[in-house]
Amino acid sequence: MKTYGSEPGAPSPVQVGISELVVSDGDDTLKSYGLGSCLAIALYDPDSDIGGLAHIMLPDGDAVDNSDRKPGKYADTAIRALLRRMVEQGASYTTVEAKIAGGSDMFEFESFGDGVGQRNIAAAKDELEKLGVPLIAEDVGGSHGRTVEFTPGTGTLVVKTADESADHGVKEL
Amino acid sequence: MKLDVNALGTFYRMAREGAGLAAGRLTHMTGVETQVGVTKLNFMRGREIERDFEDSREKIGVRVNLTGAIEGYSMIVFDRENALRTVETLRSESNEPIDVAGGEFDEMTESAVTEVGHIMNSGFIDGWADVLETVIDVSTPEFVQGETAEPFFGDVDSAPETDDLALLFQSRIETVGAEVGFNHYLFPKRESMASLLDRLRTSGGIEYDKLDGFDRMAERGAEEVAKTATTLTGIDTSVEIRRLNFVSLEAIPEQVADEKLVGVAFEFDGMPSGYLLFLFDEDSAHEIVDAMVPMEVDEDGFGEMGTSAIKELGNIMASGFLDGWANVLDTTIDHSTPEFIHDMGAAAVDPVIIQLGENQEFAFVFDTVVVADGREFDCEIYAIPDESDLERALNDLDVDRIEETPTTAEFQEVNNT
Repeated sequence: MKTYGSEPGAPSPVQVGISELVVSDGDDTLKSYGLGSCLAIALYDPDSDIGGLAHIMLPDGDAVDNSDRKPGKYADTAIRALLRRMVEQGASYTTVEAKIAGGSDMFEFESFGDGVGQRNIAAAKDELEKLGVPLIAEDVGGSHGRTVEFTPGTGTLVVKTADESADHGVKEL
Repeated sequence: MKLDVNALGTFYRMAREGAGLAAGRLTHMTGVETQVGVTKLNFMRGREIERDFEDSREKIGVRVNLTGAIEGYSMIVFDRENALRTVETLRSESNEPIDVAGGEFDEMTESAVTEVGHIMNSGFIDGWADVLETVIDVSTPEFVQGETAEPFFGDVDSAPETDDLALLFQSRIETVGAEVGFNHYLFPKRESMASLLDRLRTSGGIEYDKLDGFDRMAERGAEEVAKTATTLTGIDTSVEIRRLNFVSLEAIPEQVADEKLVGVAFEFDGMPSGYLLFLFDEDSAHEIVDAMVPMEVDEDGFGEMGTSAIKELGNIMASGFLDGWANVLDTTIDHSTPEFIHDMGAAAVDPVIIQLGENQEFAFVFDTVVVADGREFDCEIYAIPDESDLERALNDLDVDRIEETPTTAEFQEVNNT
């Protein structure tokens, strides 16, 4: 089971579970564990240090009736909800930038078709382009899991993989 | 009694809402940040619940009797230490002196724990009443303590008998950083549950007895898996936990250990179709490779030999598991070739819930844990059928077949003493 312990001294990161999104304006670290085909979408405004992280599982919320109840579940609705909440907190729409990580294809099952991870990546990129939000960094695809930590204050997105070889599996976007 | 996904979904929302309110009140009381851990609707047999309790840790419970829209018992259960720590936190907030060094529950501590437990219970119950838009009456709280299940629900008439399958609400609330947590259980009375289900159901639904019957079959399938594992590896294994959960899809990866795991995944196709995952911690996986590969293997991590040994074990366990289902459902269920994974546990599960998530919000999960005595062999098994397939398969199920259906092997109690 999941534990919520934290290292002494370090402020505990805010967990962003599947289908959740969190917006913050401080030095909080927002963290999503064990992304496989799910996608982490981080938006931030470098001028106001306001940013947010979404942990989406499906591409297309507009095709679903009740996506307004859980906007964080879908790539398109999550990006719009993040943007709206950030602007409400004082971010400037025009300076917001995006980073994404995740969207692996872990298994080659027949029922998965082209790959559930790929669908999420494509949907996120489409929506960002539609809204004119530049995607400045990404670590997507492949067939491995990722844990991400996003600090809105600096815009840093740290991506960890279970791969123990090069760089200890840690990448900074 | 009949249930359907809509009714169970409402129950699930009730449980989440209640857990949220209870967590909020705990934060308010203690000034400590809290989080809702796992929330589940479990279908569990009496003996499984007993096993859940028997971890030889002293526990404290605060129990209330419910009447009105829901009848039954609601209970907050703390590990004894956690109860003390919670009271400690409370008293330090109010600057009252505290002396729990001896660990004895004096009258004051007992009444403080009872009060906390009661406020938590009330939080849950208010949450359910909100969702149901109705009134639930609560008795005065009762303080219970002990190491086994007996004192907690031995005298609760709505708790299931050893062989009975009961619907149980379980939630866990934890403080952030302070490592205080507790479990919440609701044992509703069967009649009360039946009338609520009738009210909330929007489709024909599944006959409860069929679910019960199918679960009994799944239980035998799990025993079969343990036996297969024993035969193949020579490691004596047995089924430790087995339950049928009804959870939101998002909650499934969250219950997987937050560490690097070794797994074998399958898709299965038939009536029902779905996904089957076997997950091992790394130590267990190494032990399995050592047991199955006769020669000394000099490989980093899990090389070709190790991978194929684990895939082979997974393949045979999957057949044992699914054959049991197919036999009782009088159908065939085919499964794919095994896919090996050595990665973060949650990452192995999320593709499956994404795929199912296109068409469903919740899932029945057949949760099984197989363990070995004295040696490393911990295997978590998740079988997640497609919801509409499962509903159809269950409706076609002839409950009388269950006892008559031969399983692929002779079943016997796995004795690991």
